[in-house]
Amino acid sequence: MWIEIAHFSTLIALMLAALLLIAPLIGVRWQRVVWIRVARQAAFMICALLTLASAGLIASFLNHDFSVKYVAEHASLKLPVFYLATAMWGGHEGSLLLWTWMLSLFVAIAAWKHWKTHPVSMPWVLSINGGLLLGFLLLVVFLSSPFERLLSPPADGRDLNPLLQDPGMVFHPPFLYMGYVGFAIPYAFAMAALITSQGDSEWILATRRWTLFSWAMLTIGIVFGAYWAYYELGWGGYWAWDPVENASFMPWLTGLAFLHSVMVQERRRMFKTWNLFLIITTFALSLLGTFLVRSGVLSSVHAFATDPGRGVYILIFMSALLLFSFGLLTAKSDQLRETPQLESPWSKEFSFLINNLFLVAGACTVLLGTLYPLAIETLSTAKVSVGAPYYNKVFIPIMLGMLALMGLGPLIPWQRASLAKLRQEFLPAGIIGLLGMVVAPLIGINHLSGAIATGLILFVGTTHLTDLLRNTKTRMSRESLTAPGAFLRLVTRNKRRYGGMLVHLGTLVMVAGFVGSGLFQEERDLFLAKGDSMRIGSWSLTLESMEKTARRNWQADEAVIRAERPGEATLTLRPQKRVYSENSQPTTEAAIHSSWREDLYVVLGDGVKDGVWAFRIYRTPLVAWIWVGSGIMVVGVFWAMLQGRRLQRRAP
Amino acid sequence: MNGLWKIVLLGVVMAILLLFALGLKNDPRDIPSPLVNRPANDFTAPALEGDQPVRLSAHRGQWVLVNFWGSWCVSCVAEHPYLMELAKQTKKRTDFVMLGVDFRDNPDSARAFLARHGNPGYAHAQDPEQKIAIDWGVYGAPESYLVDPNGTIRMKHTGPLFPGWFEQRALPLMQGAVK
Repeated sequence: MWIEIAHFSTLIALMLAALLLIAPLIGVRWQRVVWIRVARQAAFMICALLTLASAGLIASFLNHDFSVKYVAEHASLKLPVFYLATAMWGGHEGSLLLWTWMLSLFVAIAAWKHWKTHPVSMPWVLSINGGLLLGFLLLVVFLSSPFERLLSPPADGRDLNPLLQDPGMVFHPPFLYMGYVGFAIPYAFAMAALITSQGDSEWILATRRWTLFSWAMLTIGIVFGAYWAYYELGWGGYWAWDPVENASFMPWLTGLAFLHSVMVQERRRMFKTWNLFLIITTFALSLLGTFLVRSGVLSSVHAFATDPGRGVYILIFMSALLLFSFGLLTAKSDQLRETPQLESPWSKEFSFLINNLFLVAGACTVLLGTLYPLAIETLSTAKVSVGAPYYNKVFIPIMLGMLALMGLGPLIPWQRASLAKLRQEFLPAGIIGLLGMVVAPLIGINHLSGAIATGLILFVGTTHLTDLLRNTKTRMSRESLTAPGAFLRLVTRNKRRYGGMLVHLGTLVMVAGFVGSGLFQEERDLFLAKGDSMRIGSWSLTLESMEKTARRNWQADEAVIRAERPGEATLTLRPQKRVYSENSQPTTEAAIHSSWREDLYVVLGDGVKDGVWAFRIYRTPLVAWIWVGSGIMVVGVFWAMLQGRRLQRRAP
Repeated sequence: MNGLWKIVLLGVVMAILLLFALGLKNDPRDIPSPLVNRPANDFTAPALEGDQPVRLSAHRGQWVLVNFWGSWCVSCVAEHPYLMELAKQTKKRTDFVMLGVDFRDNPDSARAFLARHGNPGYAHAQDPEQKIAIDWGVYGAPESYLVDPNGTIRMKHTGPLFPGWFEQRALPLMQGAVK
């Protein structure tokens, strides 16, 4: 019953999406506002219908309706309610419905919020999003329908993939999709600006919060994915440069470049074409992510649906979209007037330009590494894979360059700075940074990139704190406030600037985490029998006993390990090897003790012979800093989003 | 944007799309095995049914299809009907024989699997500690190898064999059409 309601509302939404595509065009062509109004109502209705459709699919899961093929394949009677409700995106078909539902939600919000403020762009924004919705709904309805029934329903379902039964995995896809889909709105505004030849700054101001929001969601999604990989997959790492991880990382990089370069357009009316290029590229890369995951073109842990039919369809859809967008950009870009030119390389504009070059170069190296195996395989018969060594070699220098630039950000002025002034500004931070690089090897960071990163963290931290201190002091004397009062006033008056600085500080925390975990991980493989001990770092671990344990939908072998470190309380770690159902391979549940200093990570392997088990043990410094740093970043982005449009009137 | 940049931009976009179009034909599961054209590792293992041990080298002079499977493997269920059909279809051939290797499994579940989904009738080796599977570089299930009369691995197929596999893939090799 529920599934038919869901199916039927999706079909109606499909028809309304066609209307959403066409009606605004008619309205613009024949100057009939009523058609544009109709399109706006269609956008609201599509959102309502797809909400109903998603609810219907979730209800089918909650009712254990195994006559629905998708439910039978991704749930079982024993699956806990939490995972039952979120199994909707446990497979290909439901994920696409989720993606489309989110798009419809964002389109409805855009149609509601920007209706009065952006009358010229609105018809085009609606029409372009209508095209996107139509494209995805055709896919959902005809090529990967989650609504199919089975003629003879099984008594129980096949269960959700055990690896996906994890909180990290529950939140990873929705956030990632929100990020991907969110870029559709700025993209549509950018295209509207191109079509109506209003490529000036209006679209940028309209979409500032959208891009910030999408980028924040993408950040959360990627970090949840990394967190899941770390906690659930049991290999001690969090990032593998897997093609699909890269696919989410590329729009993150170009989106970040866009967030920086729009500031130049707002302030100085420059980089207009570049910004259009960046937002189109960001959205195109978001779609590429979907294409890579969904078409099976690249093999990866994520490619759970290999179906050439879908692949061909997504490829046609993506080609149409890319050729339309980039074609329009090349055709229309000459109409954009780039008013002032760069006046001096010693200016904020110029540092943003370099920042953009680094970020785009970073995205290009990732794209190259992702597509190279595909190219080799297509053009010859060999198989290659591009792994961490390539990315480490190419990407780390780029990121170090980014880090150095980040330090310039707050202290370098717009337009033109005198060299003498700059020297004076950056001298203290520069000295502290250099000292850091020299001292780092002495305190054990005996790694070139690690030492440079340490110095740069200090450099960036110092410039940011200098700026905060100085501006707080100015406010203290000017407005006769106490230090905390002045600080509070400072960061609430210009939320955008200080939100951005908080993102930078979060990045520093993350980089510290990358240095610690990337360069100083310790790993041991060994066999332990009951009573055996081993040492890793300053820890001493003893296998106390092996136990059997079970929950509702799994049973497991569990090792009880006592971990001791001089001067600290004794811990008990319980890594497991779980079997969810007779049809699935065993999964490992690593036991992790996390602290600010380091993580102790114990994985239970196979039983070798009676009472002897294989273990893999990692000691990874500073991993927790990555999660904390990403949290700080996200708070910073949201802080920046709170800023209204008040500030931009103070343009020079 | 000047003309050169426009051409570069559109050229890169088209090249990527073209690459995807060509790439759609690739099968991501089709990974070349370094063992192809190498002598197969011989094995002798207890059979799943009966007392006669299963030995690969006993079939010298015949083409052998070695199919790795397990009752825990979902794709093996999908593959099974074709194995049944292939066994029936090639029953009369003297130059072709099929062997199963049931790995990382317990024999009772494997026998239950055969009782439930049908027994194709050829011999299965038991490999509970996956010794054979590791020797042969098996990393998933099902995987199938075609071994020639001299005991050399000539082909590896990852994932379920598809209907028509024998005619399209195996026969050309067996008839010497493909080297």
